[in-house]
Amino acid sequence: MRNLLRRSQLGLHLPMMLAALFFLGPLLWMLSTAFKAPADIISGLGSAQWIPQPATTENFRNVMGKAEEFPIWRWTANSLFVSLAVTFLVLVVDSLAAFAYSRLRWHGRDKVFALLVATMLVPGQVLLIPTYLLIRQLGLFDTYGALIFPASASAFGVFLLRQFFLTIPMELEEAARLDGCGPLGIMRHVIIPLSKPALATLGIFTFMGTWNAFEGPLLFTDSTLMRTLPVGITIFQGRYNIEYGPLMAAAALAAIPVTIAFLVFQRHIIKGISLTGLAGR
Amino acid sequence: MNRYLSGAAKTPPRKSDGLTGVLFALPHLILFATFVLAPVAYGIYISLFRWHVLAKTHPFVGLENYGAALSDDIFWIALRNTVYFVVLVVPLGNMVSLGLALALSSVRRWGTFYKIVYYLPVVISIAVVVVLWRWIYNTEIGLLNLYLGSVVGALRSIGLPLPPFEPLPWLSNPSWVMPSLAMLTVWWTAGGNMVLYLAGLGTIGDDYYEAASIDGANAWQRFWAITWPLLRPTTLFCLVFSVLGAFQVFGQSYVMFTAVQGGPVSGPARSGLTLALYMYLQGFRQYEIGYGAAIAYLLFAIVLVLTIVQFRLLSSQGEAKS
Repeated sequence: MRNLLRRSQLGLHLPMMLAALFFLGPLLWMLSTAFKAPADIISGLGSAQWIPQPATTENFRNVMGKAEEFPIWRWTANSLFVSLAVTFLVLVVDSLAAFAYSRLRWHGRDKVFALLVATMLVPGQVLLIPTYLLIRQLGLFDTYGALIFPASASAFGVFLLRQFFLTIPMELEEAARLDGCGPLGIMRHVIIPLSKPALATLGIFTFMGTWNAFEGPLLFTDSTLMRTLPVGITIFQGRYNIEYGPLMAAAALAAIPVTIAFLVFQRHIIKGISLTGLAGR
Repeated sequence: MNRYLSGAAKTPPRKSDGLTGVLFALPHLILFATFVLAPVAYGIYISLFRWHVLAKTHPFVGLENYGAALSDDIFWIALRNTVYFVVLVVPLGNMVSLGLALALSSVRRWGTFYKIVYYLPVVISIAVVVVLWRWIYNTEIGLLNLYLGSVVGALRSIGLPLPPFEPLPWLSNPSWVMPSLAMLTVWWTAGGNMVLYLAGLGTIGDDYYEAASIDGANAWQRFWAITWPLLRPTTLFCLVFSVLGAFQVFGQSYVMFTAVQGGPVSGPARSGLTLALYMYLQGFRQYEIGYGAAIAYLLFAIVLVLTIVQFRLLSSQGEAKS
């Protein structure tokens, strides 16, 4: 591919820089607005400035100072706890299942797996109403269970890990078996150590996906204290309709943790997508 | 997609692991059966009843909810808006993603920087994205109109015969709403498909391009003769999942209009009403959960048909040419 446009590197950087501005600009504008004084946001002079002068943390204090109405730390803690719990649950449960579908023989295995794969094309929206009723009937409504269990049930991780486990040579497993390892031992000593890239990819995507999830947390909880950050932001917006300073401060607070996680893990993430065909869905 | 569905499991040549296999699969199967399989079936069941959340009884009505949806003008408005959104987002988004991937695969320096920047919006929650873009789209003091105003002003000052700039009603004029939602969606999602296209481009060997260059093909010809046909599996995958995702558009309209107090819940003149939002409004605002479920299944049926059509069209083309 490199040869397609090799000649004109300069002509390439110009549109690429413009595209970079398009993708980065709104995020920088969010930060810029978050640090502006309210008067500067709406006045003609200050409103066009990218560097706030003077810069103020007033908006952030405004956001954090209303813990009764907008418990943003509680929302952050909820998001963090739920994302970690879902990630942990998915990694454990899905790797066990992927092992069963790739390395163990049991009656009906391939039929069950085909069923898992088939459900991956079911739009998530279709599940919302029945899951909502189920959660009410199970007594999980407005609990952490409602935020964690439905988010951990997808077949995707099983499918992804199974495809990866299949690439691990059978000989290694047989050697472990001769050394007296049972299925759990084979998983622990052979499969898991060799599958770290796939597990890391699944873990990072599950974490980011859960952190950003919107429809589920919106419908499966209803008390202010059980909300997650993305839903909390919309509650906040309902009140601060057009007060963009506090709104952008709250949006920045929600966006910064995932952005940092992405920047730290970006190599894994981008490689993971190309390995697995998973694009943050 | 095909490459993901194929590949039979290589199982050891020995007797069945029997119960062990089931036990390993069981924890996931319990979650999956409860929160995926059961809801799929339960949703169909719900859709066959007149099911009001607060009512004591919910009578069986057969396919009445589906019939009601098909003769409901608002359902058709929602469907039309959704199709319009898909038609705007899928081709535009995929062109942007492919363009970025082509540029990234050709650039020699700063590739990682560009890649990170283009991908960054993908990791942000739709709630944050929409709150941010509602500010950028603000008619009076939004960033977009601010800059468009200065560009028009600058062009006028150098003597171009342009009319004075009128701020554009990105979110208040019904005809602008879907294009505005589409633009923020392309901004939000283009990086995801870009990485997939980039991976697809990486599988095409350099020797194809070298041979074509020796034959005197220019960049344009090389793209249509080599890149485009060899990229077909990736394109199919990206298109199928873009359509699947775009048809379910919900957060954009919900956060932009429904979650904002005082305005119409589905945008000016229902211009932001999508199928998923209509399902939500019927199910969770009107409490007509049976009707909401029927709308969800109609959405599912449409998406399923479209997916099959795309597979047929794109895979048969691939076979005919290769």
